[in-house]
Amino acid sequence: MDELQALWDAEDWPGAARRVRELALEAEDYTAVMSLVRWRKRLAPHLAPTDGNAVRVALLGNATTEFLAPIVELLLEAHGLRPSVHLGGYDTLAWECLQPDSGTAAFGPDVIAVVQSPLGIQDWPAATAAERDAGAWAQGRVDGLLSLFESAHANMGCDIIADTLHRLPLRPHGSLAPRLAADRNRLIGEMNRQLAARAPDYVVLHDVDMMSSVVGLDRWVDYRWWYQAKQPMSFRSGIEYARSLTRLIASIFRGSRKCLVLDLDNTLWGGVVGDDGVSGLAVGAGNPVGEAFVAFQDYLKQLKDRGIILTVCSKNELDNARAPFTELPDMVLSLDDFAAFRASWDPKPDNIRAIAQDLNIGLDAMVFVDDNPAERAIVRQLLPEVAVVELTDDPSDYARILDAAGWFEVPRLSQEDTLRTQQYQANTQREELRSSADDYGTYLQSLEQRAVIRPFEDRHLDRITQLVNKTNQFNLTTRRENRSAIEARMRGDNYLTAYVRLGDRFGDNGLISVWYGHMEGTVLEIEQWLMSCRVFNRGIEHHLMNYVAEQAKSHGIDRVCGRYIPTAKNKLVADLYERLGFTCTVRHEDGSTDWELALADYRPTTTFVESVEDY
Amino acid sequence: MTYDDTWTRLLAIIRETFEDDTIDLQRETTAADVLGWDSVAHVQLVIAVEEQFGIRLTTGEAAGLANVGELADFIERHLAAGT
Repeated sequence: MDELQALWDAEDWPGAARRVRELALEAEDYTAVMSLVRWRKRLAPHLAPTDGNAVRVALLGNATTEFLAPIVELLLEAHGLRPSVHLGGYDTLAWECLQPDSGTAAFGPDVIAVVQSPLGIQDWPAATAAERDAGAWAQGRVDGLLSLFESAHANMGCDIIADTLHRLPLRPHGSLAPRLAADRNRLIGEMNRQLAARAPDYVVLHDVDMMSSVVGLDRWVDYRWWYQAKQPMSFRSGIEYARSLTRLIASIFRGSRKCLVLDLDNTLWGGVVGDDGVSGLAVGAGNPVGEAFVAFQDYLKQLKDRGIILTVCSKNELDNARAPFTELPDMVLSLDDFAAFRASWDPKPDNIRAIAQDLNIGLDAMVFVDDNPAERAIVRQLLPEVAVVELTDDPSDYARILDAAGWFEVPRLSQEDTLRTQQYQANTQREELRSSADDYGTYLQSLEQRAVIRPFEDRHLDRITQLVNKTNQFNLTTRRENRSAIEARMRGDNYLTAYVRLGDRFGDNGLISVWYGHMEGTVLEIEQWLMSCRVFNRGIEHHLMNYVAEQAKSHGIDRVCGRYIPTAKNKLVADLYERLGFTCTVRHEDGSTDWELALADYRPTTTFVESVEDY
Repeated sequence: MTYDDTWTRLLAIIRETFEDDTIDLQRETTAADVLGWDSVAHVQLVIAVEEQFGIRLTTGEAAGLANVGELADFIERHLAAGT
């Protein structure tokens, strides 16, 4: 904290604020976190508003949440968001959700976080209750909760983050508990299971049950503060809670990290392949260190299977680096599991930048794992956007450390997530085809692109929401919206919406572009237009514009308007409207530009994309 | 640790918690004497004291402090008992 005082004395307000945000992501004990909360408050009057996405969070529940609010604000800011937090007060969940004129409704939240403590449950069934009665009780509680969520969603159109319940650290029935249907911990398990199975898509689960188990229930619960202030967890745990909740909120409103950059020697296997040879490496059964590396690979494989991109960045000869994957039988990861594989003697920051470029993803989507502290330090210094995992020198810790950092939290899983590595590998094949083609047109033609363009549909809303909230480069307005707001556009009478799914000879690119606008009279105003970086420079935007023009005409539109709002990352589309034949009508002081197109003047562009019903 | 050490550290914790370097304490000082010492700040203070002294107050002690002198006594007692 002395360094903050030094920055303060030097009147370096932005520098101090940046350091507060960095420290906030690391601080563990309550005293340190509260000190950062105070620093944040102290610095606020000296700072210009940040340009992060604004997010309005209501903290409701069956417990008091006052002590969480400043920590949640601090951490959301550390995640690059501009938070406002509203408190519902002790045990006011029902009122706040049901009353259309409640304080929460007036606040207008983007998301409601529902803090749930089992200590607040008062009507537990008797321990000897019959199985059927116990089940009915659990079901009734979940019914009640879901109907509150439904009202809140209907009244306020926001997403809801709902805690699972943690278990109780008391065991009145000892080891008999698993056999008693009405044992409280069994009932908690049943309620959690039903909540997960029955909650609709606008409900995101916050798995406090699992988190509290990892931390330890004795540490999680501090009964003193429940009795004194109806506080749902100990202060120390409150910090872990806020950390995990804010990661989830950030993943909704800012997007998640999606790519792991992995070192090889002493990170994926024990030893140095260039020195020890393939046969001298520790990886596999029969050697405790080798087992630890296998377990770490197994953990990484689980991440990969749900859509996290694995890449390699190693200082090695390429042949040496690849050999263990093909020659050692106990390796869990194979070369197919990596979307990019860089082994060379170039500095790692250069190689990481090259990987980001190859995959066309931002550095802020990457997490770097390397056993060598010097490599970690240089990546931290030269690529501050990349998250760096601080490993210990014991491979048994690797999975646990990476896991605890929680970089890959996502609110929901979309189909694109599970196909991701395949899609990025197909991109590499497309690159090869491109370098062999004579000209770009020939290349596009040989891709055999097929596009499905349709108005939004329920089954694609998760993916559409995901794209709206994480697309940075091809994004005309960077307007972040939650799922409910997008759903409202889908159902709105005066809205035109469109998504694009794209297939080609190398496979399915998935849903890669989102567009919508509203109509007033004969004017169509474009609100949102974005495209995944995976499919830049393939004529998809022209193809979509052709579709929009056609749809607009059939709705009696004669003029289409659009705005470009510049950010640090979307320069790519600054001249998109110009390229499409729009005329600039206004240049605003903040750099935004307004554009207009008379539909009668629009000439459809020839594209190398075939429109299909499905592929 | 002597009683004076405890007192000095407690004073520093209270000044930090209430963000006021000018706070001066007597044994008789009560919550009502310090600006901003409400129930939320009180809990924060107790947590800071517990973390920094490595002790754990009982529910009754945490809830019903008569004055700062009593808090210092509780701290001494827990430090002596190693709890």
